[in-house]
Amino acid sequence: MLGMPLRRRLRLLVATVTAALLALLATGTASAIQPGGITDEARLMNDLFWIVTIAGLIVFGLVGAALVYAMIRYRRQNDELPPQFHGGGKIEAAMVGVPVLIVIGLFTISMIILVQIDDKAEDEALTIDVTGFQFSWQFAYNLNDLGTNTDPNAEGTIAVIGTPANDPILYMPVDEPVEFLLKSNDVIHSFYVKDFLYKLDLIPGRVNSFTVTARETGDFSAQCAELCGTNHALMRFIVRVVERDEFDAWVAAEAARQLGDGALVSASGTQGD
Amino acid sequence: MATVAVPQLSGYHRPAVLDWIMTVDHKRLGILYLYFTLFFFAVGGILALLVRTQLAVADNSFVGNDAYNQIFTMHASAMLFLFIIPVWAGFGNYLVPLQIGAADMAFPRINALSFWMLPPAGILMFAGFIVDGGAADGGWTAYSPLAQQTGVGMDMWIIAVIVLGMSSTIGAANFLVTMFRMRAPGMTMFRMPIFCWTMLVTALLQLLATPVLAAALVMLFIDRNYGGQFFDPNGGGNVVLWQNVFWFYSHPAVYIMILPGMGIVSEILPVFSRKPLFGYKAFVFATIGIGGLGFSVWAHHMFTTGSVLLPFFGFMTFMIGVPTGVKIFNWLGTLWGGSISFPTPMLFAIGFVSMFLIGGINGTYSAAVPVDFALHDTYFVVAHIHYVLFGGSVFAVFGGLYYWFPKIWGRQLNERLGKLHFVLMFVGFNVAFFPMHMLGLDGMPRRIAVYADSAGWEALNMLSTGGAFLIAVSMIPFLIAVVMAFMRPKDQPDDPWEANTLEWATTSPPPDYNFDSLPPVRSERPLFDARHSGEEQGH
Amino acid sequence: MAAHGTAERQGMTNSMLGFILFLASEVMFFGGLFAAYFIARADAPAWPPPLTPEQIAEGVHLELEVLLPAISTGILVLSSVTMQYAVWQIQKGNQGGMLWGLFISLALGIVFLAAQLYDYTQLHFRADDTIYGTTFYTLTGFHGAHVAGGALFIAVVTVRALGGQFTAENHEAVEASSMYWHFVDVVWIALFTVLYIIK
Ligand code: HEA
Ligand code: HEA
Ligand code: CUA
Ligand SMILES: [Cu+2]
Repeated sequence: MLGMPLRRRLRLLVATVTAALLALLATGTASAIQPGGITDEARLMNDLFWIVTIAGLIVFGLVGAALVYAMIRYRRQNDELPPQFHGGGKIEAAMVGVPVLIVIGLFTISMIILVQIDDKAEDEALTIDVTGFQFSWQFAYNLNDLGTNTDPNAEGTIAVIGTPANDPILYMPVDEPVEFLLKSNDVIHSFYVKDFLYKLDLIPGRVNSFTVTARETGDFSAQCAELCGTNHALMRFIVRVVERDEFDAWVAAEAARQLGDGALVSASGTQGD
Repeated sequence: MATVAVPQLSGYHRPAVLDWIMTVDHKRLGILYLYFTLFFFAVGGILALLVRTQLAVADNSFVGNDAYNQIFTMHASAMLFLFIIPVWAGFGNYLVPLQIGAADMAFPRINALSFWMLPPAGILMFAGFIVDGGAADGGWTAYSPLAQQTGVGMDMWIIAVIVLGMSSTIGAANFLVTMFRMRAPGMTMFRMPIFCWTMLVTALLQLLATPVLAAALVMLFIDRNYGGQFFDPNGGGNVVLWQNVFWFYSHPAVYIMILPGMGIVSEILPVFSRKPLFGYKAFVFATIGIGGLGFSVWAHHMFTTGSVLLPFFGFMTFMIGVPTGVKIFNWLGTLWGGSISFPTPMLFAIGFVSMFLIGGINGTYSAAVPVDFALHDTYFVVAHIHYVLFGGSVFAVFGGLYYWFPKIWGRQLNERLGKLHFVLMFVGFNVAFFPMHMLGLDGMPRRIAVYADSAGWEALNMLSTGGAFLIAVSMIPFLIAVVMAFMRPKDQPDDPWEANTLEWATTSPPPDYNFDSLPPVRSERPLFDARHSGEEQGH
Repeated sequence: MAAHGTAERQGMTNSMLGFILFLASEVMFFGGLFAAYFIARADAPAWPPPLTPEQIAEGVHLELEVLLPAISTGILVLSSVTMQYAVWQIQKGNQGGMLWGLFISLALGIVFLAAQLYDYTQLHFRADDTIYGTTFYTLTGFHGAHVAGGALFIAVVTVRALGGQFTAENHEAVEASSMYWHFVDVVWIALFTVLYIIK
């Protein structure tokens, strides 16, 4: 390569670098084609992600191509001065107009999706109280608010508490809306489940909430996403999405363990539908 | 003005060091700024290498969790507050008076004061590492209440940032007065070099946004030390208040960190395309537009707090893409139809355009609010940060250094080494930071010291670490080129690049008083006009 | 040297423009503090916010007496007038009139500060009780510091005036100190209104 004339060497350089970049980009997008989340909400967000990605790739592709083309086509050949234009009204108007259109389009779509995500009947949702603390989580279930199948007579709450060394498991049923109430008493944490494609902060002094409907069962790893001190990295947890009867069985077992036999009776009533 | 020049001339009898310490000359202060900030680029870079070493493999225990938090906090603090913000003041100090044909800044002594506030602040901030409890470790964003839990290093950080902010505020006032009042005859506002325009808008942002950060830091200091309740919900305070006030400064601050870089690129591209900047006025208005819009998007850093007006801030954030797009098209239009050569400064400028484009587009992902719910506080955002700040600002810094090196030091940096530097840095940069997009999409949160093996993030992290070390290696040819240059005599002509703006109308380096005579200024390219007067100038 | 062509332009001097820009940054600083105050107030269930039983037992109560601060406000406004008087006098070249204006403004400023310090001793809450006390002392404290700074500025100007340094043509420092003084005055009026008047 060193023996070549400078110009060819440069052209080779530009070409290699562009190729390398495109390859990187391709791997990047390819690896992003992953199961688009496990909740209804996540699927909406995943759609939006792809819309933005396509718009972004088009912009990048066009601008990048123009850049590379200009660099090759207009490289210096001789000492002649090129025409000295300073810009023109029409092109400059297009420079503003086209991006404005793209931007308004993307904004509109993202707002439509935002509204759809927020638009959930939260009344019949199962509610889980999530409390973040330095450095783990507590998930509390109110026995008389276990969602559509709640036995209204069950009393008390059951809770799962983790430690940095022992990731807590958050049980939730599949195919029904689940509402999370997020609280913190020390510093800000963030409830982040990658497969929900969603996170929301736990902020001292306020309660945040969101609702999702999971569509897949399984274990999904999750963790705190807001720097909260020394062991922030260890504030992990597992979301275990299970079928309703499995969920009820787990609730019954936990209730028996945590609240004693009395609770077991009424809690196991939740299975009797 | 002569009163300013006289002590400089008699300075031959003083020890050189004293000369530098006492100087009020804008060029010397500019050089001091450059040395200071490049030193902290190295410091911040070494901290970054520690970060990358820790993250290279899963479950690593190279540095502990506490140390890790200090390291990345100080990495960002050094890079932002001690490198990239003041480095523009360095270029600005050197160049603005020269580019507008003035003999110095409006207030030379205040100018020296702005510079000399930096070293104590830098020392204070880094002295945190030797006190009990260590350096600040709450992230550069210092979110409360976390920022109230940590040791005295945090107080030192707060004071240091306040001092740095004061330096930047009075520096901004100085730049504004200089540009408003000291322009050479014939240099109207719309004939000012584009770098000056970007410094002007930057200075306005600094003047109006930095005091708000000072107010926020004062409140944090009161909360920490005097039992204040600003950010404490138990006493009626509001946790999210910190974020609102902090980002009210820090979003405009990201444009403080990039606009002068855009200015540098807009000086380099026309020179090596041998054409005027395409759409000078559009560029100026886009810069003003970015500055203005910059004040209305701060809450896009807070989409997941559940307490911001999502549609408004989402919309404004998207809108910032429009004036920024105008600039991208200005640069393309400048190249288009030109006669382009590729010396090192031009390579860095083109590197800037392409990499900043990626950084802008991946910033746009976060403007789409629901997408940000997924991406916020993941490595996707870390990728964004570095594509704009490294791919953007740092490339512009090096572009500017290669471009103005002959002017400032009277010598050329070796072209071969320069190109090697560029290639290594460009490749290393992409290898280091592109994988972070994928890591973010794969759910890796930022600011974590360790990740589990089972997470599956190790391969990409390893790649990224390799890239980071390649960036470090890329500095070797640069340093060699600098040393080689300094071993040669000052041999550069006034205008080695066939440039356009007034700084090239004087000797390299310029004399104390800057100019013996100024060419007439009849456009934004006085030197071009002088070279081609009489010729057909086309339009 | 063609660079001489860059000499200062018509109108305001560079120093004055620089000073005005500095004031703009001061406005933004207080803007940040005010914003915090309004957000805290909007968040609170009531204003002044409710106290805990322990705090009440300790004798904390969140009340502000309006009379003394109202008089202080009058004093500060008056001092702005006398300060402006000093500027007008020196614009006419009347050094004696200017000196009187400066003296009286300085004295009034010191009275204001004394009154504010006295007022602090009369309050039954501290900065660390609730957000009410935190915002109150931060806002008035930073304002007080600015009054003190302004008074120092006037004192320096007065000394220079005693030395006969100012004339009808050359009295920039007098104008700058008076602008600064008006600025602290306006900030105080805003503070007095939101802290003491608006319920
Ligand atoms: C130099 C610094 C810099 C710059 C210039 C920018 C530019 C932009 N940034 Fe960035 N940003 C940071 C530095 C910067 N940012 C930092 C440091 C953080 C993290 C802080 C932290 O938490 O630590 C951050 C975080 C950050 C977030 C928060 C992410 C999160 O935490 O969840 C968001 C959200 O919207 C965002 C958006 C944007 C946008 C829309 C732009 C726009 O200005 C980009 C505009 C540019 C383009 C869009 C490309 C060119 C345009 C065209 C070719 C036209 C056509 C294009 C379209 C129509 C889309 N940034
Ligand atoms: C201008 C801004 C800037 C720059 C240039 C960089 C440069 C780099 N950054 Fe940084 N970074 C930030 C701003 C910046 N960063 C910010 C704002 C954050 C967010 C922090 C937070 O969350 O609070 C961040 C966070 C951040 C993280 C995430 C940490 C985490 O969330 O846990 C990582 C991880 O890889 C990283 C890596 C790097 C790397 C590898 C470089 C490399 O490019 C560095 C390359 C430079 C060098 C290698 C130095 C080279 C010089 C020498 C070696 C000279 C030799 C010296 C002598 C001879 C004296 N950065
Ligand atoms: Cu909790 Cu991070
Ligand atoms: Cu921002």
